[in-house]
Amino acid sequence: MSKPLLTTLAAACALALPALAHSRQITVTTQLKNYGGDGAYLAVYLTDAKGAYAGTLWVAGGKAKYYKHLADWNRLSAGDAKRLAGVTGASVGAGRKLTVTADLADALIDAGYEIRVDAAVEDMRDSPADVRVPLAAGNAGKPQAGKQYVQSLSFQLK
Amino acid sequence: MGWKAIHRWLGLTMGALAVVLGITGAILAFDPVQEAWQAPAAPGDLSVATLVERVTRTVPGAEEIRHLPSGAIVVFGFVGDQAQAHYVDPADGRVLGAWQPSALPRWVKNLHRSLLLGDAGRWGAAGIALAMALICSSALVLLLRRMGGWGRLAARVRGTLAQRIHVVTGRVVLAVLCLTSLTALFMSATTLGLVALDAGTEPDAVSVVSGKAALSGGQLPALHSLTVRDVRRLNFPDASDPEDTWKVATTQGDGWIDAYSGQMLAWQDATLAQQAYDWAVVLHTGEAAWPWAVVLGLVGASVLLFWWSGVVIWWQARRLAPRITANSALAQADVLIFVASEGGSTWGFAEALHAALVRGGHRVHTSALENFRTTAATRQVFVLAATYGDGQAPAHASHALERIGKLSASSVPVTVLGFGDRQYPAFSAFAQAIDATLRERGWNALLPLECIHQQSAQQFARWGEALAQALGEPLVLDYAPRVPPTTALTLVARQDFPAREGEPAAILRFAWPAGGRLAPFAAGDLLGIVPPGSAVPRFYSLASGTQDGFVELCVRLVPGGLCSTHLLGLQPGEAVQAFVRPNPGFALPRTRRPVLLIGAGTGVAPLAGFIRRNDRRRPMHLYFGGRDPARDFYFGAEIARWLDEGRLAHVQTAFSRVPDGGGYVQDALRRDGERLRALLAQGAFVRVCGSRAMAQGVGEALDELLAPLGLSVAQLKATDRYAEDIF
Repeated sequence: MSKPLLTTLAAACALALPALAHSRQITVTTQLKNYGGDGAYLAVYLTDAKGAYAGTLWVAGGKAKYYKHLADWNRLSAGDAKRLAGVTGASVGAGRKLTVTADLADALIDAGYEIRVDAAVEDMRDSPADVRVPLAAGNAGKPQAGKQYVQSLSFQLK
Repeated sequence: MGWKAIHRWLGLTMGALAVVLGITGAILAFDPVQEAWQAPAAPGDLSVATLVERVTRTVPGAEEIRHLPSGAIVVFGFVGDQAQAHYVDPADGRVLGAWQPSALPRWVKNLHRSLLLGDAGRWGAAGIALAMALICSSALVLLLRRMGGWGRLAARVRGTLAQRIHVVTGRVVLAVLCLTSLTALFMSATTLGLVALDAGTEPDAVSVVSGKAALSGGQLPALHSLTVRDVRRLNFPDASDPEDTWKVATTQGDGWIDAYSGQMLAWQDATLAQQAYDWAVVLHTGEAAWPWAVVLGLVGASVLLFWWSGVVIWWQARRLAPRITANSALAQADVLIFVASEGGSTWGFAEALHAALVRGGHRVHTSALENFRTTAATRQVFVLAATYGDGQAPAHASHALERIGKLSASSVPVTVLGFGDRQYPAFSAFAQAIDATLRERGWNALLPLECIHQQSAQQFARWGEALAQALGEPLVLDYAPRVPPTTALTLVARQDFPAREGEPAAILRFAWPAGGRLAPFAAGDLLGIVPPGSAVPRFYSLASGTQDGFVELCVRLVPGGLCSTHLLGLQPGEAVQAFVRPNPGFALPRTRRPVLLIGAGTGVAPLAGFIRRNDRRRPMHLYFGGRDPARDFYFGAEIARWLDEGRLAHVQTAFSRVPDGGGYVQDALRRDGERLRALLAQGAFVRVCGSRAMAQGVGEALDELLAPLGLSVAQLKATDRYAEDIF
């Protein structure tokens, strides 16, 4: 499954806004395991060096009823009224791949930020922070294994 | 649109889709049952702290403990990189076996809730649930109408097999079906975002790192006061995040517990909507209560039975339905015609009246008598009512009289036209009762009560002339009896009973053509025969059923009778035109209770049919009355054989024209008084077939026998234990 799209991390990310002129495109690819269940709800988001929420890249799965199962993201992003603005899509089937593209301010890279993915599947166990990858230029192209539903996550910078 | 139309059309259309949800629901009910047998349930009063302590000892990487609806405990964790989920024994934390969310393939559940069509399908499934709720509500209204109110809900159901299946099953499962529909609607509303369950933003609770070591689960004070009964889920703090908390989800709400102090940092009460949702899930799925899941499974499967029997009922009604053309809607019609008909012939008269009034420029609405009502547009009402049996109402209108008795009169005149047979003492008794009730309630009539004898077209036409005069309009009633499609039956055998005095008789056996269109029938149903040169059918009680493979009648010559003369003149190989008319009121219910069969003369025919098919050997007792054993002991040889085979428990005969013959059949009943009273006390069913005089004599004799039991024939008739077939 491929989801080419362009997200501008703006609302939650004060750092990004003035620096948009100096931005880089990031493509985050999340490959799911064949865990044998319904489509997974995924939240792909950024946290800063202190572990605080910095912005949402993508939320896969459309029913608000289930967002509490993406526990970390749901808690951390609660103050972000626009956390879902233009960044939602269908849930991701087992064994499928989710590709998210966004423009990130240069200043976010190599600054202690982290890409996190929370995952949840119906009737199965919630998996907050299924995978965490530091947003460092040196990590680009290196797949990072996930805990429960995520096979691997990798990102590319352009 | 009336309740009946809502029920019929929603049932036929959405009902087909509801079958899919019913069957998948029945399959899904397997899960809670299976789950209940997988692992032991935790005792409700077990402290959560104790449980956590046991689990941490046996499952080192535990991250989450779940208390399943079945009561079992499942622990989630990691072994290396592999996520694991296991049942544990709550008594000692012992790992029991791997946990699977469901034993069924995923698609069953997805078919059930979304028809495999994603979100659009969820709306579709919710629509089906809404339709089901409406079908159930209309079913309740119709059920009460049919049975005659709450008090009579448990009474015996009359009607065809499909009708009995539909009504009897409905009586049992209606409430559960309605409940599952309503809970499904609520669950759909939460999923589709129409009802919010969340208590709002979760509190931002963090453990306060104090330099002390984190407490183990068993040491957390906040968990000591919690019992397993209330807890759904307990999440351990993330080992890599020192600020993470314990999180506990309970039926009352969610709590966040400090990893170092073990105190509750934050608490969020479950919303009312969430609590309602939890209940809806239990009621809808049967989780946490496997016997309820079994009930739900059976009810789910019953949807197929309902739909199938509903389709059959609709099809049968369509075939028998009167063909009223230009039937206006009730609200617009200025003339209303209400019909009570046992076999359908009165509908033919209604059609003629309807057509004549429409020709005269009226908007006419014709309907069954149980729908009796008037509207603002109504100017004239006609009630055409036949009488069934001994002055009773036709089955479909059995509670109409009572209903009319409760309505308050309007200024609209209501004219009653009765149909019956003058040879019965209770000639048109039902029409008379309706007329009397209407006048008592203060309704006017355009014409006084008139009773049509033996479906006389001439008398009907004369009534039409009176009507035309009263209305001040030209009106011509053009009535031709309606005969259902007939089948040619070929005589294959006849057994003659020649007369020395009185009239000859014969048992006639017919075959129906291969692939013939004869409707299924059973002994006790009626065969309508249209003699050549007549448009009016005559009816004979059937002594056989479809199962027997032949049509059998017992016919005695009526002097000057067109039809009996024709039948007794038939030779093997010759054919008659015939059709089947069901006689559900006379059929025997399927119980093991004893049956008392009382017949005289050719009236023994349907009783012989009952005995012939008594494969289950229920105790049947036959009282047969004739004139002379040498001449009119119809089925005599067969009766002896059935007695040997055990199909018949006992037979008693009475012959009135031979010395020491025993007199009439009612005399035989009186002689056996003690025995019969014992049978009746056991709840025996009684079926009487013969002449009017004989049935009256039998009724009197049985009333005498029943009196010491505090019972009467009338009471047995009211509960359908006593039925007569009179000719």
